[in-house]
Amino acid sequence: MKIHTYEKLWLVAAMVLIVGFIATITYGSVALGITMVGDQEDTIEPGELGEDERFDDPRVEQVGENEYEAYVIAQTFIFQPDPIEVPENSEVTFYVTARDVIHSFSVVGTNTNTMAIPGEISTMTVEFDEPDEYGIVCNEYCGSGHHNMEGELHVLPEDEFDLTELSVEADDEVALEDDDEVTLEIAVENGQLEDLETTIEAEIGDETVTEDVTVEGDSTYETTISVDAADLGEGDHDWSVTVDDYEESGTVTVVDQLEDETEDDGGDDDE
Amino acid sequence: MSNTFVDAFPKQARLIRQAFLTSFVALGVGALFGLIQALHRTDIFRPIESTTYYTVLTGHGVFLVISFTIFFLVGVYQWAVTESLEREPVDMRFTWGWYGLMVLGTLLAAFAILAGFTDAIDVSADVLFTFYAPLQGHPLFYIGLVVFVVGTWLAGADWFRTWWAWKGDNPGKRIPLPTFMVLTTMIMWYISSIGVAVAILAFILPWSIGLVESINPTLTRTLFWYFGHPVVYFWLLPAYLLWYILLPKLSGGRLFSDPLARVVFILFILLSTPVGIHHQYLDPGIAEGFKFIAMTNTMFLLLPSLLTAFTVVASMEHGARQRGGEGYFGWLKSLPWREPAFTGMALAGLVFAFGGFTGIVNAGMNINYLVHNSLWVPGHIHTQVGTAVALTFMAGSYWLVPQLTGNRLVGRSVALFQVLLWFVGIIFMTNSMYRGGLIGMPRRTAEPQYDGFDFEVAAGSVGELNAQLALGGVLLFLSTMLFLALMLLTLFNHDSEPIDERSIPRPLSGPEDSPPVLDNLKLWVAIAAVLVVLAYSIPLASIVSRGGLFGPDVSPFPVFIESIGDARFVLESILAGITR
Repeated sequence: MKIHTYEKLWLVAAMVLIVGFIATITYGSVALGITMVGDQEDTIEPGELGEDERFDDPRVEQVGENEYEAYVIAQTFIFQPDPIEVPENSEVTFYVTARDVIHSFSVVGTNTNTMAIPGEISTMTVEFDEPDEYGIVCNEYCGSGHHNMEGELHVLPEDEFDLTELSVEADDEVALEDDDEVTLEIAVENGQLEDLETTIEAEIGDETVTEDVTVEGDSTYETTISVDAADLGEGDHDWSVTVDDYEESGTVTVVDQLEDETEDDGGDDDE
Repeated sequence: MSNTFVDAFPKQARLIRQAFLTSFVALGVGALFGLIQALHRTDIFRPIESTTYYTVLTGHGVFLVISFTIFFLVGVYQWAVTESLEREPVDMRFTWGWYGLMVLGTLLAAFAILAGFTDAIDVSADVLFTFYAPLQGHPLFYIGLVVFVVGTWLAGADWFRTWWAWKGDNPGKRIPLPTFMVLTTMIMWYISSIGVAVAILAFILPWSIGLVESINPTLTRTLFWYFGHPVVYFWLLPAYLLWYILLPKLSGGRLFSDPLARVVFILFILLSTPVGIHHQYLDPGIAEGFKFIAMTNTMFLLLPSLLTAFTVVASMEHGARQRGGEGYFGWLKSLPWREPAFTGMALAGLVFAFGGFTGIVNAGMNINYLVHNSLWVPGHIHTQVGTAVALTFMAGSYWLVPQLTGNRLVGRSVALFQVLLWFVGIIFMTNSMYRGGLIGMPRRTAEPQYDGFDFEVAAGSVGELNAQLALGGVLLFLSTMLFLALMLLTLFNHDSEPIDERSIPRPLSGPEDSPPVLDNLKLWVAIAAVLVVLAYSIPLASIVSRGGLFGPDVSPFPVFIESIGDARFVLESILAGITR
């Protein structure tokens, strides 16, 4: 075959260019460790995310000293959880799946970007150095509300970050005649691995109760605070429970006598 | 006495004119939709609801990259085969038959898409050009696509038949270069379009009419991209044919090398299909190793385009020197820059070279994560299909349409303005798209304006990017309308004669300089099949073993108003589609 000399030179130069491109990409993967989304995770039934312990409650979890895992669901047209909060100087592995159609999970302005496909779970490990706020968008067309699908990712300073969850159960109505007490059942969950030293402060009407507690890592501290209904007197009384920045509040009504015993238990009887 | 194509082959000229007409109608509608999108997503003018944007977007994609490009392709290829073999099809009724099927398919799909504009008909298909399941369009959309693709398959069969008849009369002769290009393109198309045919016929269509309940989204997506990358070469190769065959003549010279042109087209047969997974770098459920293989194959696919750059520029230089050009770069001044057909193709080639480098960014698997599905990607598409292909087709029409009608081109200087306007428009629009993509603006969205965050532009502002995108879109729309007006005027410019005649000069280095093995098409088909099996068998087996043929229990997500499984209704809709 007759090939012009210049053409041969061009051919060689083209091959060098191509091999060079492949080499730089390979260097990025092997030496710099820029990994890609792969097939590491098993498949999942998209209709049964509620029965999967990772996705029944989309959340961020601490798994090591500075290591976290985030379980994210993309669905028309929201991300769960939203916002996603992680601390600075952390390494976060995202597990992303979709509930209905194909979406994406794309942290704007970064290479944290993956498809979210029903039945599959994408994983990506990302390092966050500085506190910042990022937008998350779905960049795969997912239906008529696609343009409304957005979320937020907050990288918080270490002193502002926690995985504390406060929940309080209280009665709605308490009767004086039974010598009842108004009780607040308080649970403080510490999702971080370090112990959490904090103070529970509960107010009911004019009464204030405080309790210094240490919640061990990855566990829940439960306590009950009671006040005699007689001390509060008949009427509505606001209550609130505060732990660090978290607050739960409600109102309890102290009555003379419960009118109907069945109403006492609230809606449970209806079932 | 003129010597034009229509004088020599009036029946063929009529068919090709018809194919071009269909192509240009699709271009007009697609361009209008493009204008609406450019103004809508930049929030400059929003005459439609944002939910309707996706109907417009589906139409823009399907009408431009399926109807406009492929109807033009069959026209050019019919011209190339007829001209280079000096021969008509064996049976002209068959030729009109495949054209008719392609039109029918287009009308069915167009009906399904356009019905999305009205609530009066319970049909729509806002699934975009990629129709990723579990998004579900009306069955008519998928039926239309299948009918259209079958039409193109028969067109290829027709060209092969003409060539076999020619071979019988010319034993031992080398395949003329234009016919060689047509046949190799169609081989690539047969190999690759199997993917979309299987995706639709085996999975999506039965699922959309309710015969099967579930679908494996990764499987249909992978089958789509098995076809989805080679299809871009299906759009591109007719442009390559015009660059190799027509551009050297327009430059005043001859093609530099026939053998290298053959090598380039063979490389496309071999390499265009085993690369599709590079569109799925971000997909879970596909191992990194397969993505790496797709990446290396894709990089080698640069080779035919780099070789083309050499041959095309060398041919232009030869032409310029024939016209008296001198010096290292001085010859550039001697090119026929006042000729719109030449200038349009030359500018298209220039934009293609730039866009090629942005494609390398896309192909670089780990760099891809930064730009995947961002506005960068439509930037790339609009420089490549939207300019390298579209502008070459328009420029080529300025030479071809006079040959097909026997009429002189109307408004030669307006035509020159038109191609320049396109060039300016595409620079504005894609500059905005590339830069917007780098800061993370998503593609395919009606309102890239978010509540929770702002895009951070390093230099400039979002407002400036939007202004450029909208301005570019307006200029491109105006350019398209100018082109269509000139075509219409030329069609009715009777009592005139084309300036040029139909003959194509021989290459400087002819087929005799290449080994005959290049013409052994069976050999290339066999090698291509092996490469496809190597690249795809294990990934597909893995996807099926993970998710099952019909997937996990994924519910359909209809983007049309009412699900229907009633065959009678389908039939009525088809009839409505025909009469529409």
